[in-house]
Amino acid sequence: MIRGRFGAILAVIAACALLLGACGDDKKEDSGGSKPAGGASTSASGGKKLKVGLVTDVGKVDDKSFNQSAWEGVQRAQKELGADVKFIETTDPKDYAKNIETFANEKYDVIVTVGFGLGEATAAAAKKYPNIKFIGVDQFQAESVTNIAGLIFDEDKAGYLAGALAAQMSKSGTIGQVLGTDVVPPVVKFGKGYEAGAKAVKPEIKVLTWYHPGGLAKGFSDPEEGKKQALQMISQGADVIFGAGGNTGNGALLGCAEKNVLAIGVDTDQYLTLPQAQKVLVSSAMKLITPGVFDIIKGVQENSFKGGNFTGQVGLAPFHDLESQVSQAVKDKLKQIDAGLKDGSIKTNVKV
Amino acid sequence: MPAPPPLPPARRHALIDRMRRVRLPGLGQSILVPLLAVITALLVGAVIILVSGGNPVRAYEGLYEGSIGCPGALSGDAGIQVTRLVCASSVTDTLITATPFVIAGLAVAFAFKGGLFNIGVEGQLLAGSLATVLVGYKLDGLPAALHITLALAAGIAAGAVYGAIPGLLKAYTGAHEVIVTIMLNYVAGTMTSYLLSGVMKDPRSGAVARTPYIDTAARLPDVWPGPEMLHLGAVFAVLTAIGLWWVLQRTTIGYEVRTVGANPHAARYAGMSVARTVALTMAVAGGLAGMAGAIEVTGVNYYHTPGFSVGYGFDSIAIALLGRAHPVGVIPAALLFGALRGGSSRMQFLTQIPVDIIQVIQALVLLFVAAPAIVRWLYRVRQRPHTVIEERPEPAASV
Repeated sequence: MIRGRFGAILAVIAACALLLGACGDDKKEDSGGSKPAGGASTSASGGKKLKVGLVTDVGKVDDKSFNQSAWEGVQRAQKELGADVKFIETTDPKDYAKNIETFANEKYDVIVTVGFGLGEATAAAAKKYPNIKFIGVDQFQAESVTNIAGLIFDEDKAGYLAGALAAQMSKSGTIGQVLGTDVVPPVVKFGKGYEAGAKAVKPEIKVLTWYHPGGLAKGFSDPEEGKKQALQMISQGADVIFGAGGNTGNGALLGCAEKNVLAIGVDTDQYLTLPQAQKVLVSSAMKLITPGVFDIIKGVQENSFKGGNFTGQVGLAPFHDLESQVSQAVKDKLKQIDAGLKDGSIKTNVKV
Repeated sequence: MPAPPPLPPARRHALIDRMRRVRLPGLGQSILVPLLAVITALLVGAVIILVSGGNPVRAYEGLYEGSIGCPGALSGDAGIQVTRLVCASSVTDTLITATPFVIAGLAVAFAFKGGLFNIGVEGQLLAGSLATVLVGYKLDGLPAALHITLALAAGIAAGAVYGAIPGLLKAYTGAHEVIVTIMLNYVAGTMTSYLLSGVMKDPRSGAVARTPYIDTAARLPDVWPGPEMLHLGAVFAVLTAIGLWWVLQRTTIGYEVRTVGANPHAARYAGMSVARTVALTMAVAGGLAGMAGAIEVTGVNYYHTPGFSVGYGFDSIAIALLGRAHPVGVIPAALLFGALRGGSSRMQFLTQIPVDIIQVIQALVLLFVAAPAIVRWLYRVRQRPHTVIEERPEPAASV
């Protein structure tokens, strides 16, 4: 039944697979062998290589967003701490536990889970494996557990910086913000922070604010409505708009691109995630997940890991194409505000 | 070796006749071609894994370990010490993943038999899950047996009603079931997110949109207790498949469904009510899809959430095709999908290739199964005359 031309093709494919497979293995061993030599800090923990696994939320490690930022933090641990790192991408929320388990079974030292969706699964796994340290990105810890560090962010500070930038870039004296649902506290923190930051720089500035009324089901996934709201704000004179709310916010940024009005993105550097908005995107209010994840992993290596909430840094993304439009005075002012927020001399006074 | 003496012509004819009647040649083909399709898909998949920078041998080792074997059974890369070739935790994981695939696949296969293309499994499944979860968390204090039965019945009924809508529309207005079911999928999806982030949302779930947990009495018991749990739903799935096969082959209703599917004009001429049969077929298909959702709610999740279905509705079409729309054939097809899904974590752990590759392999399996001519040509499998099977007299179900 199986003979002739296909038998031959089959044999060739199988042979190739085996051959190249072997090559692949060699490469892996190579890089494995050279790693300890490069990572001087491995000796710090008695020569034992830290094993770090990352489980994404439904999505991929190259999503140019949360998952990727967290994975880059883990990769930095590979480079700087000589850690052994691997990832598993989740395709079905039911697999959260199983994917975490895959790393736990292999006796990994640190497991990073990305996104608040994995909160419950992470808490359950932490109970089951008390010797493994868990890092939950965007997972607020209501009660402190000794082996989970929840990496959270002061969205109000990120919003404050965005507001300060927007107010200074505005010529019309009116700026806007298109936000996801106000059911989610971080969104409200972004929104109130933005307003506070803008008013702090220019007390007389007018801030147009719109929250998506559709709750969780629609709030983050309605680009059409987001765009419509942005266009409306532009017709009311807004000349800088902050879009913070998943695809709804992205819709607002696209609306800005259409009307050539300055836009500010959110969470990650959206210059990379939303190329259609590049020409108007002056910056993004970022949660710096990469250094946050790395710092906690480093803490494990140095035995200074603590359970509970770990507040990561926030900041503005590079100005990219609009670098020349942002004057040195504005840059200096932002730098000063950033420093003030970090050392606590500037407060956003946002309570949610 | 001397050749056996030739048989007398009369006996020879009788023997050939007998051999023809045995279903083996037909059955052999219907197993052989999908099997070759799967093998071909894995081989082509191996090439794709290679191109994307992975090691196909490691990848398939991971697929095996994640779906059947223990971690490290083949790859030797195990953090835990057990490295058996068959591992209960992997097998039950595959079975649990395959369970909704079996039942949802039946929902498509049954409709196929009746000449209908049910693309509405996704919506019917969501309708069923909604009803089940409602009965599951609203009622309490009932004995477990009663509560489980009620919850499952609610899911099946809701799915059946949701499936009957396109069935009735098709039967009495001629509206095409493909279009109606696709539209109803949107209705069910949007309705689910609306309800789950509104009136049915668990107030304690915070920012996550999901219902409260169902009562412990409404949860399906484990047939394989212990750390490698397997809930009763897997047993239900197999029984349903066999039951459906029996209904189709051995009952009047089944005969009518098949006849209407094969030739509605002939069915009408034979005095069957085509409209009633079409509506009934869609209601049964919808009920099966609802059952798939009900079992996921009562056996696995214990709550309902908008991200509940990861494309069961669409995978089920693939599974029905792979199983040649045969109720029992759906089981191995669903197991294959369950294994591919169940093994993907381990596969990615070992190779770090994108998880999409698994979906590509699934798609390749389908491609080769849906186009059996390719496989036949590649492996030079000769198509045997189909008439042999068709010649078998139908069971006495004349109406």
